[in-house]
Amino acid sequence: MKEQMKTTKEILHEKLSERKTTPLYSPEALESIRQTVNQWMNSTVREKDRKNWLKTPHTVLRSDIPREMLYTPLANAGLDYQADLGHSGQEPFTRGIHANMYRGREFTMRQLTGFGSPEDTNRRMKFMVDHGATGLNILFDLPTIQMYDSDDPMSAGQVGMSGVCVDSVEDMDLLFKDLPLDEVSVSIVTHYPSNTAILFPMFLVLAEERGIPWDRLRGSVQNDVTLEELIRSGAEYTPPHDCFRIQCDNIQFIRENIPQWNFITLNGYNLREFGTSGVTEMAVAVANGIETLEEMVRRGYDVDAIADRLAFFWSPASDFFEEVSRLRAVRRLWFKIMKYRFNATNPRSMWMRCHVQTSGVSLVQQEPLNNIIRSAYHALSAVFGGAQSLHVDSYDEAYSVPTEEAALLSLRTQQIIQRETGITDVVDPLGGSFYVEALTNEIEKRILDEVDEIEREGGYVAAIESGKLHKKIATYFFNQQREIEEGKIKIVACNIYNSDTEPPPINVFQYPEGVEERQKAKLARLRLKRDSERVNSALKGLKEACKKRKNILPYSIDCARARCTEGELFKVFKEAYGLWEPPTLW
Amino acid sequence: MSRKTKVLLSKLGLDVHNRGIITVAKGLSNAGMEVVYIGNALPPEIISSAIQEGVDVVGVSSLGGAHITLGIPLIEEAKNKRVYDTITFLMGGVFPPQDALRLKAVGFDEVFTPGTKIEDIVSFIHTRSTD
Repeated sequence: MKEQMKTTKEILHEKLSERKTTPLYSPEALESIRQTVNQWMNSTVREKDRKNWLKTPHTVLRSDIPREMLYTPLANAGLDYQADLGHSGQEPFTRGIHANMYRGREFTMRQLTGFGSPEDTNRRMKFMVDHGATGLNILFDLPTIQMYDSDDPMSAGQVGMSGVCVDSVEDMDLLFKDLPLDEVSVSIVTHYPSNTAILFPMFLVLAEERGIPWDRLRGSVQNDVTLEELIRSGAEYTPPHDCFRIQCDNIQFIRENIPQWNFITLNGYNLREFGTSGVTEMAVAVANGIETLEEMVRRGYDVDAIADRLAFFWSPASDFFEEVSRLRAVRRLWFKIMKYRFNATNPRSMWMRCHVQTSGVSLVQQEPLNNIIRSAYHALSAVFGGAQSLHVDSYDEAYSVPTEEAALLSLRTQQIIQRETGITDVVDPLGGSFYVEALTNEIEKRILDEVDEIEREGGYVAAIESGKLHKKIATYFFNQQREIEEGKIKIVACNIYNSDTEPPPINVFQYPEGVEERQKAKLARLRLKRDSERVNSALKGLKEACKKRKNILPYSIDCARARCTEGELFKVFKEAYGLWEPPTLW
Repeated sequence: MSRKTKVLLSKLGLDVHNRGIITVAKGLSNAGMEVVYIGNALPPEIISSAIQEGVDVVGVSSLGGAHITLGIPLIEEAKNKRVYDTITFLMGGVFPPQDALRLKAVGFDEVFTPGTKIEDIVSFIHTRSTD
């Protein structure tokens, strides 16, 4: 970002400050309330409460937004219904991106699955679908995420743990056995731009080999520089500028070739779990979104050609009303950014579409069944906030990968909200609450302030390189630990109401046996039977494309066809781009 | 003890989650220990670094499920390199309580599961160093 360019906050202020408003509350009504509030404060409200009028909830992953004891219209005296809220499906989309929201399209129940070999995960995916899941969501094991083959020494002892192992197209085929790729929406959690550029081509080649045209495929990838460069611990990192370029190259290729695919899921969740408030979580994702769109515009795209396939990924945690309000806040803010900063004209470009995953860090190992309640509240807040798609963390989060019964309970949590509570029959049911609207306003302002901070420091990628965001995150999670240890943040059965007796033990997931051996054997066979000339030629083509900083997806697809393995492509990236040493966290 | 207790901390294998281990690193450092954090590493590298740095304690973190599959080789490597008896081995992370017992049986001196306070780690290390 050049210094002479205006920041997003400045642009929005310019465009919006002169708007004519139609206040909802009459001056007479407000004046009358002001007077009665004063009387009430002095006669009915206790002195102790008057003195402690503002209180900040001390929750896990908390923000520092103080709350009044009681909210009245005075907290939002200038509320203009049309300008600030609008009807659902109408600018500024505060109340929801669609007029009918869940009446028209229920939130997708998209539980993560991933463990063991592709066959193991395939079985669990079918189990979830059989029990009512409406979306697939695949998580890879750490070697696959970090781009090492299952037989790489770096992967020893870790194959198929906490995710499914995928080394080549053959594994993709097993993963999606008997699953119709043109009928089901698939979230393939390729966190990083780099591993998206390796794994997504395998999926595309699979579709091709099954005779499914790419324009029939629906789903998403993460493809987020935040995950690759800011929040993970890894052995080898691609330099941030290359990573960001690959993020945009992936967007470009997918936009041109797989029209129904969501090409970036701005984070969000993992960042907050690592250590930020809900405000910073959204500011970072928004800043990344802005910088990405600017790059795509620079490449010659109309913003309306890109923005409608951009999605977000949030982490609903325990401060219930903050969670509801911040979804509304970022929805309104994103609309303003798309309309007034990017001049988008298609309403679809202005929608903040999101998937949410209830916070894992907020769940504990002590009395694990309590986590069912925690996750249920997290999920509920996301539904009140208008999320499009949910994953609910399971009660054994602090133990291992979810057992079948724990995963089923997460699904049931969503189904009960959807079918038994009546909440989804009314759009934005908390809209108009004096509290929720005031909190929505405050959060929107804070998110924009933090976006402004990032922009003033040279933009998002620059903020990653400088280490400023790393430091901010580390400070946050040190404080969280301190507050929990000091008992300022209370966690039931953990640091308050601790029980002397042990609860009955829960079933814990057991990894299937022999995954690593079988995968290594499979790789050995693959390397023998594939055409090694074709492999070498494909890798060579990829290397040249990397060196020339070209869009590598077409070359990666070629590699996938030739049955190259993931580690082989990562090796090429490392040789071509070199490695980056990330900032230290302490 | 006149010199500082020296601790080597590491992520076990390719595990991406380092919030906990960094918090522990800072906590131990605040408690007056000398901390060396080597990031992601496998057992051979962890032990060779521990020897090179001359540490008193090795602490590893695993949230990715590989605590047993990599924990066992770590202890074995320490024994092969004849440093098992002179170094305190600690494991932390996300794994079930029954695996915590197994890790101690395998040879870890102590295992710290979710909900652990930093001061508990610090006092454990101090009691070990006065043995």
